[in-house]
Amino acid sequence: MQAKITELRGARIYDPTHGIDGEVRSVFVSGDGIVASPRDPGTIKELLDLSGCVMMAGGIDIHTHIGGGKVNIGRMLLPEDHLAERSTRGEYPRLGSGRYSPSTLLAGYRYAEMGYTACFEPAMLPANARQAHMEMADTPIVDKGAYALLGNDDFLLRQLAGGADPKLIQDYIAWTLHASQALAIKVVNPGGINAFKFNQRRLDLDERNAAYGITPRQILLALAEGIHALGLPHPLHIHGCNLGVAGNVNTTLATIEALAGLPAHLTHVQFHSYGTEGDRKFSSGAQRIAEAVNANANISIDIGQIMFGQTVTESGDSMRQYAGSAFAYPKKSVIMDIECDAGCGVVPFKYKDSSFVNALQWAIGLELFLSVTDPWRVFLTTDHPNGAPFTSYPHLIRLLMDRSFRRDMLATILPEAAAASVLGSLEREYSLYEIAIITRAAPARSLGLSTLGHLGIGARGDITVYTDHPDRERMFKAPRLVYKAGEQIIREGKIVATPRGATHVVRPEFDSSIERLLDTYFDQYMSVRRANFMVSDHEIEEFGQSPLIRHTARR
Amino acid sequence: MSSRPATIEHHDVTCPFCGLLCDDLTVLVDDELHPDAKACAKATRAYAAIAPFAAPTIDGKPVTFDAAIAQAAKYLKRSRQPLFAGLGTDVAGIRAALALAERCRGTVDHLHGAALARGMQVLQSRGWHTTTLGEVRNRADLVVLVGVDINVNYQNLIRRYLAPAAALQPARRTSRRLVYLGPRRAQPSSPELPCEVIATTKSLSETLRHLQALLGARTVAGPDRGQALASLATALRAAQYPVLIWAPGQLDSLDGDLTIAAACDVIADLNKTQRAAGLALGGDDGGQSAQAACAWLTGFPLGLSFAGEQLDYAPARYNTTRVLAEGQADLLLWISTFARHLPPTHALPQIVLAPLGTELRGKRTVYIPVGTPGIDHAGQLVRTDGVVSLPLPALRDVGLPSAATVLSRLHQALD
Ligand code: SF4
Ligand SMILES: [Zn+2]
Repeated sequence: MQAKITELRGARIYDPTHGIDGEVRSVFVSGDGIVASPRDPGTIKELLDLSGCVMMAGGIDIHTHIGGGKVNIGRMLLPEDHLAERSTRGEYPRLGSGRYSPSTLLAGYRYAEMGYTACFEPAMLPANARQAHMEMADTPIVDKGAYALLGNDDFLLRQLAGGADPKLIQDYIAWTLHASQALAIKVVNPGGINAFKFNQRRLDLDERNAAYGITPRQILLALAEGIHALGLPHPLHIHGCNLGVAGNVNTTLATIEALAGLPAHLTHVQFHSYGTEGDRKFSSGAQRIAEAVNANANISIDIGQIMFGQTVTESGDSMRQYAGSAFAYPKKSVIMDIECDAGCGVVPFKYKDSSFVNALQWAIGLELFLSVTDPWRVFLTTDHPNGAPFTSYPHLIRLLMDRSFRRDMLATILPEAAAASVLGSLEREYSLYEIAIITRAAPARSLGLSTLGHLGIGARGDITVYTDHPDRERMFKAPRLVYKAGEQIIREGKIVATPRGATHVVRPEFDSSIERLLDTYFDQYMSVRRANFMVSDHEIEEFGQSPLIRHTARR
Repeated sequence: MSSRPATIEHHDVTCPFCGLLCDDLTVLVDDELHPDAKACAKATRAYAAIAPFAAPTIDGKPVTFDAAIAQAAKYLKRSRQPLFAGLGTDVAGIRAALALAERCRGTVDHLHGAALARGMQVLQSRGWHTTTLGEVRNRADLVVLVGVDINVNYQNLIRRYLAPAAALQPARRTSRRLVYLGPRRAQPSSPELPCEVIATTKSLSETLRHLQALLGARTVAGPDRGQALASLATALRAAQYPVLIWAPGQLDSLDGDLTIAAACDVIADLNKTQRAAGLALGGDDGGQSAQAACAWLTGFPLGLSFAGEQLDYAPARYNTTRVLAEGQADLLLWISTFARHLPPTHALPQIVLAPLGTELRGKRTVYIPVGTPGIDHAGQLVRTDGVVSLPLPALRDVGLPSAATVLSRLHQALD
């Protein structure tokens, strides 16, 4: 017997994966996916008239800190956020709290409410993977996945210092993905977090880690090459050196050059696009970065847009977060050295439009969005919660789509900062098609999620239907309908179902002899046994009640 | 037919009996549990004392699980203000307990809630710089135990982390100094790593403030300007990675917050020019897991009430002692699945989820025996450093349900 078919009729479809740009056509949903138009119309059991609506695949956030140690430290550190914003009984299926460090339940509900159906935690420490997966499992509705952090772990640095065979590095990368149940690999301040444990306070691309004598450049290349050789869908996800430092635009450009054509993703690039010009020795490097991204097809970026207001910054970059802790607001922060694996820093912060630096950061992010020409290589993020909570996406979309609104906003920031940016002269307005690229189609493609981010036959039934409205903020804030895996989860702005959401992992093959080497290493140095370090499928599927979706590497 | 059960050997077993979660035990299982010598004295006792199967009781009379659950559900339905206390369970148990507490408008607290709140208060007021057991093992060259009594708890700290055979920074391991700062009665006796003792006469917080002043080379008034403390200050300045360790549950209830805050200040001062870090030992009986899971699921740590229309976080108010003393509860649901912790005395009806030995036979008492995570069923726990979590194995099956299973059945019985 065929499953029931629902016809979603009359909406304008934006499906960039298939080049569909606002065409009115029907989409058929059956079971958990999108199916072809049935030959026998009698099998259509439900018909929804969506005239006047806009339909896209469910949104995908490629970089959002939703689960894991530092996120939870942020929650514990900041009861002021949670006391100020608490949901009321009946508002959501369960209670929750927090605006910029939301509880897992609330994060899932609010993503769904915004039409997002998949979120990816970009900084999972392998040593903390088990808890990161617990938190993600408790983030309802949305699919999730995580990027494992490498590049500050003593194992890799020792191997590199000893001139390890690239094949061993590949095996180690692959093993880490298995062990931590990850979808991709991220590097944060390559070698710098480790160097901070030896009291180095900065580490530029070609500076040596005092303990191991190797440079960030070596680490970046070893990881990017290893990932490329393994054929992982998502390239190395890079949070580079010198985050937040004036003049880091040069580091970022040098990083792009160092990669020499290897595929790579530069994350929250706004925080890495600062020059040193002007009286305040802080200027926009966005145009230079955009030029480099435009010229290097191997590079993709997400922005890490900031928004004015209170938030908390949560990063694995303990070195830079320690430096930033001097500017904590409120005045408290957590800095951690972690398990010969990595570190973290949690620093609350308030971005002010009256601050030259903050106002210019805001403009730099928008400059980047508007100056990189290929939307397939730009993903919409605020680096939640580092630049702003993810709930500011509708506002950000309006800034991108509505030039006059953007100019009005620009007029409200510190005039010196506005004058230091070319933002006011940028005419570009994103189309709905381009928004569909940067919020679903491109992230899905970059992560290798072939059934997500589009509305073609065989796609998973993750669908968002917006009521068209000239105020794009209003439109994107509250979709009329959202489907998750073929099930209606949002109707008229209300959550009507709370499925658990799947966990995406990638499983490249590797030579298992690495496990013997790791057994010895774990025996000698680590605080847990290798077998217990590894997160089992059972833990995700049974304890977390999240179906695992296993992706394969291309090779 | 032999009645002797087969012996099964389990390797890399995680011990659930304190916040260190040592995971290198080998346990032989026949009709008893026999951990190897890597288990500390406390763990050895705990494994030996694991309770057999027991039947549920209502007011002391044996009943079926179904009957016990039905009666417990009746109590929960009738209750306006249930108190969910103890919470000595694994992550799955905490998840289920929080879901049920929300459904029943309960208040939640852990049996080590006071100690957990002590650390939390310092965190929320000033933050801190901390580290993890793996870092201590490999990187520390000076370790200061701030009043930590490792004779009674965290007994494997020295074997596994302070005196391991090898370290990534071998020179630091060989030159590693261990200093105990605190009252003489709790000084460690450790053959593996000699420990220097600085016996304190004043409160620990005052001693640490004194140390902080010495580090800042400020002149310190007062008679207790010990030479030992001055040389500790010098050693801290000379060290490459000094670590201060405290155990909130072992600190004096009046001086605890101040001690942790003072230790954090010492560390923060050091970090201005060199590296240093702190580490808290605690979170026993699933406390670290309860704290962490409560924070991620609700946004708040423990000391939480689900009574109102919104979550209400007030750890000073929502703690077991005060809630019971002030008559703010009409039912106690007590969960303690690791060590045998009895609920506090009170006159309310109660539902007790615990292994045999904790069963209560009083009036209006539903006792439901549950298994111990890591013994009777698999599970997960968060370690004391709040970073590492470990998987717990199932070592035997005597038919005891998990706390999570019982709590979910109670939840279903309410719907
Ligand atoms: S130190 Fe703690 S975790 Fe380790 S064996 Fe003893 S009781 Fe178990
Ligand atoms: Zn980030």
